[in-house]
Amino acid sequence: MTESLKLTIDRRDGLAVIYTEGYINNQGGEEIARASYGLLDAGYKSVLLNLAGTKIVNSIGISILIEIIEKMLEINGRLAFCNLTPTIEKTFHIMGLAQYAGIFADEETAVRTLSQ
Amino acid sequence: MSPGPADRALEPAVWARFLPVPADDSGDLLFLEGLLELWCRSRETAGAALYVEGERGLERQAAFGSGTFPRRLARTTAGPGPEFERYDLSGGVLLVRPLPGARKASTTDSVDLLLAAGVRLARLRERWKREQFQANLKGVELDAVYEVGLAIASTLDLERLTEEILLRAVALLDARRGALYLLEDDEFRLVSTIGSAAHASFTDDGGAVTAAELLPDAQHPMVTPILVEGRRKGLLAVADKESRQGIGPFSSADERSLELFANQAAIALENARLHQEALEKERLERDLQLAAEIQRRILPKGTPEIPGFEIAGWNRSAREIGGDYYDFIPLADSQLGIVLGDVSGKGVPAALLVSTLHSAIRLLIDRLEFGPALFHQLNRHIVESSAPNKFVTLIVGRLEAATGRFGYVNAGHNPGLVLRADGTLERLPAGGVPVGLLPQASFLSQELTLEPGDLLCLYSDGITECTTLDDREFGEDGLIDVLRTTSGKTLQDIVDWIDGAVTDFAGDGPQGDDQTVVLIRRRG
Repeated sequence: MTESLKLTIDRRDGLAVIYTEGYINNQGGEEIARASYGLLDAGYKSVLLNLAGTKIVNSIGISILIEIIEKMLEINGRLAFCNLTPTIEKTFHIMGLAQYAGIFADEETAVRTLSQ
Repeated sequence: MSPGPADRALEPAVWARFLPVPADDSGDLLFLEGLLELWCRSRETAGAALYVEGERGLERQAAFGSGTFPRRLARTTAGPGPEFERYDLSGGVLLVRPLPGARKASTTDSVDLLLAAGVRLARLRERWKREQFQANLKGVELDAVYEVGLAIASTLDLERLTEEILLRAVALLDARRGALYLLEDDEFRLVSTIGSAAHASFTDDGGAVTAAELLPDAQHPMVTPILVEGRRKGLLAVADKESRQGIGPFSSADERSLELFANQAAIALENARLHQEALEKERLERDLQLAAEIQRRILPKGTPEIPGFEIAGWNRSAREIGGDYYDFIPLADSQLGIVLGDVSGKGVPAALLVSTLHSAIRLLIDRLEFGPALFHQLNRHIVESSAPNKFVTLIVGRLEAATGRFGYVNAGHNPGLVLRADGTLERLPAGGVPVGLLPQASFLSQELTLEPGDLLCLYSDGITECTTLDDREFGEDGLIDVLRTTSGKTLQDIVDWIDGAVTDFAGDGPQGDDQTVVLIRRRG
């Protein structure tokens, strides 16, 4: 597993998908925050985080994801997650992220829901 | 709080912010926004925001009015920009954006008292959020330990399990990196790693292993052994505990958590290892059964009908797959090819060599001149197609039914016995080197003639070297005794006698080698 998180961003019509690969920890979380805030500044109000390439998230990473969710809520934006491992999905539910951000099994379902 | 005379001008919508008491903290946010609205309405202010101390500085808690307010403020007394006025309150900061030309606000009236209450509330709210986060995190920690415990019963895939254990340990402890080693053949081997280079393997000399040895790039490493029945079976290492400020050392509570995790992991890993061993054993047994079935099919189903002769063959393997093999090959002009071989070793490798030998003899016996030429070709084939330490002791003969002549080549096999009709016994001459042992071996063709009533007995050393528990051998004499005793009986009876004699002789001793007998008797 690589030291730092790798991100790929796919900008679509009104929706951006961020693909992660690696550990979402302090460094990884900050990378995601930077990318998300950049997308918000560019006018994207719906951001989907596809975590297919991520097997591990620690509490620092989660706290940063919560901040991103709060920021999205402030501007009536939407943040969603898809392709989570069962462990990460359970963690997100316990930590309360699932209350404010959509969690979807796959990207297709997530994009369809966010585009409505 | 109820609206007083001075507050009657306030719209009901403003008071609605203060009155409801929802179950969650959303009411707190409404309350804070209401306070800021009061501030803005009572002063010439376009917007205001309230900040309190958070984990990463002064965090914005609530905002009201127009304009954007930064999410965080520096702890210095300087404001974020000339368009703002900054009021440092006890435990917080009020940032306002005045209307153009407005006077600087006084901070001594009743609204300020409310603001002070607001700061306190905001700080409580921030603390509540942090505590809620920590409580949830505790839930995640318990879940992680519980899940690894559950994996003991559900996950038996060793590779998946080792990865899962390391992922959960690293996440649970907010480590930046980690590594998991398992003991294999007195060596700790790296089976999973996260976040940094780790040593691939090192010898277990029984001494203490420091975390720094495992994760040389780490600044704050920590390691705990994975113990099974008190013995070190693995090592779980993590390093560099993360916080929002960077990395630091682990606490003693973290150390206990890692130990607890390693205990759970030990049971899970041991179960997975035992399961893998059982699967491997099962697979091996299936392979052996399959190979045994193949070998059973190689052995003749019955005995050939040769005019003027009785023929019998018998084989009993020491294990499910043996190295002994015999064959009867009908040839032209009422001739019969007779084969008896003993391949070195046992199990699947021996069975493979038997199979190779069987095919080669069947292919070559008709195509080459019988005798040394056949054996040279067989020898070359076995040398080229088998491992260097594999060889076969082998007798291949050709019986001419019309004359009783039995021409044969013996390559290192036990010399056969001939019990003549008059009761005399002859030993066939000893043979040369086994097939497959030397690339340039030479072989000698020999011949005997079976007269009416003569019995030829070819056998493997599993018969004569059959031993008792106190290490006595059945020997060639034991076999000769049986042959003499049963001289007038059918060949099947003789085979049964040999079977019974060696079984009785061995008693409770294990069958150490395959046992094979081929009998040929010319009818009288």
